[in-house]
Amino acid sequence: MELPVLNEQPAAKSGCSAGSCGSTDDQLDHLSDEIREKVQNHPCYSEDAHHYFARMHVAVAPACNIQCHYCNRKYDCANESRPGVVSELLTPDQAVKKTMAVAANIPQMTVLGIAGPGDPLANPERTFETFRRLSQEAPDIKLCVSTNGLALPDSVEELSKHNIDHVTITINCVDPEVGAKIYPWIFWENRRIKGKRGAKILIEQQQKGLEMLVAKGILVKVNSVMIPGVNDQHLAEVSKIVKSKGAFLHNVMPLIAEAEHGTFYGVMGQRGPTALELQALQDSCSGDMNMMRHCRQCRADAVGLLGEDRGDEFTMDKIEDMEIDYQAAMEKRKVIHQAIAEEMNSKRAEKHQAAQAFAAEEKLTTRPVLMAVATSGQGLINMHFGHAKEFLIYEASPEGVRFISHRKTELYCSGDNSCGEAETALQKTIRALEGCEAVLCSKVGYEPWEMLEQAGIAPNGEHAMEPIEQAVMAVYKEMAAAGKLEDLSEEQRASA
Amino acid sequence: MALKIIESCVNCFACEPLCPSKAIYEAKPHFLINPKKCTECEDDYKEPQCASICPIEGAILDALGVPINPPGSLTGIPPEKMAEAMAELQAH
Repeated sequence: MELPVLNEQPAAKSGCSAGSCGSTDDQLDHLSDEIREKVQNHPCYSEDAHHYFARMHVAVAPACNIQCHYCNRKYDCANESRPGVVSELLTPDQAVKKTMAVAANIPQMTVLGIAGPGDPLANPERTFETFRRLSQEAPDIKLCVSTNGLALPDSVEELSKHNIDHVTITINCVDPEVGAKIYPWIFWENRRIKGKRGAKILIEQQQKGLEMLVAKGILVKVNSVMIPGVNDQHLAEVSKIVKSKGAFLHNVMPLIAEAEHGTFYGVMGQRGPTALELQALQDSCSGDMNMMRHCRQCRADAVGLLGEDRGDEFTMDKIEDMEIDYQAAMEKRKVIHQAIAEEMNSKRAEKHQAAQAFAAEEKLTTRPVLMAVATSGQGLINMHFGHAKEFLIYEASPEGVRFISHRKTELYCSGDNSCGEAETALQKTIRALEGCEAVLCSKVGYEPWEMLEQAGIAPNGEHAMEPIEQAVMAVYKEMAAAGKLEDLSEEQRASA
Repeated sequence: MALKIIESCVNCFACEPLCPSKAIYEAKPHFLINPKKCTECEDDYKEPQCASICPIEGAILDALGVPINPPGSLTGIPPEKMAEAMAELQAH
């Protein structure tokens, strides 16, 4: 999990009633104050916060109690960045040391998660020992855990004793027929149970665990992997059900499947969704609940700000040599966290003002447009096109600007260039921008400029260093003024 | 009679706490089964516990040296399909 994005209601449906018209980027706006308070400094929960706050995962949980078709338990690759992959397994003692070292060196750190590489709750002793000690030794660090849910009902009591900020359950289905296509087996009551029977038990445990956590007042986020042809049609129902049971956020992530990962889906040629398919599903679910749209699907041992990984700086041998004053580090964190919170609040207030001003303007009647933005953070257009490893995708419409997703420009493997099809990096990038009509960045080179234009994506370097939402809206208005945007059809307007 | 863990073990720890005979122990480069202690779970469970949770096909052998979870039995990937995919990757 990575960026925090709590998306608001789709503009088309809610019009201006969502309360953040104009700039609808801040998905936190749609949470209750109490939940927002809890998650606002969690880098995984808002596109905003992830540029300021850091998180880390400690890989203490190697065992798993189920098999998923998108996972290969043999995998461990330094060039890979995706869930389930780690380089160094830690004991709870090492995990505590590592967490304390990282929190001392990266004072923006607010959150420690246990996410694998197996299932944290299938390793209850290792997971809970780590949580117990961190609750005592670093009480300012929030803890979170993600699980497939099979062992969740038995763990709820213990989870509620620690400084657990929230629990993430991966729920890919609520129908055992669908589940049998995703989970070949589970280990349950001392037996391996295959197929539909296994999936049925898993689903029951997930739902029971979700209800129990909510009853305890622990925040629950639900992750789902979108698998075209398997559960894509089914996830809107999943979204509805988990929301009705009290999950505060739903994060639909694209399947990652490559033959070289050696997973069932990878080897069998199951494809992942396109960016537009994912977006369409997220939109169809968001009528029912808050959707998370900035998840970067990070490794089970990721360290740092979302989208970056500083794990190499904190290997166990390097940590052994560090001299750290833990008390001083905690005090420093407090000061830094406060300063960040203030900056974020003032930015939030500015956005709110801009949104109000926008709401007062005369409304356009033009169709929505997707735009890509190259940014290194701070909410500004401040990155060169060629340097961007990912683009943020925004939708501009008469209702305002809303954050849709991020798209990676590189495939998930950063290894040698010879793997994969013979497509240049630039072609891949342009393909990743499918559906966008403009790309905003601080600068674009000559070659990409031409190729972007050929692909029907207008390169735009005129808004360097400007706040993203304002620039996107400015470009949208220019496009409208230039007559490039036909009006919404009557039909579209009726459904809006 | 005893089961055996071989080098394809990925050290995931899943089997160790399940063993009713405490026959499994952490070792380098991978977990091992003490053949003197292993009972193949005969008096405790219908199926040997280590082989029932192990996610790696071929990593645990029975007393005759035969994999309890043969290729394709856990992942559902037909072995020929896996071979094909691997050959394809190596060709690049």
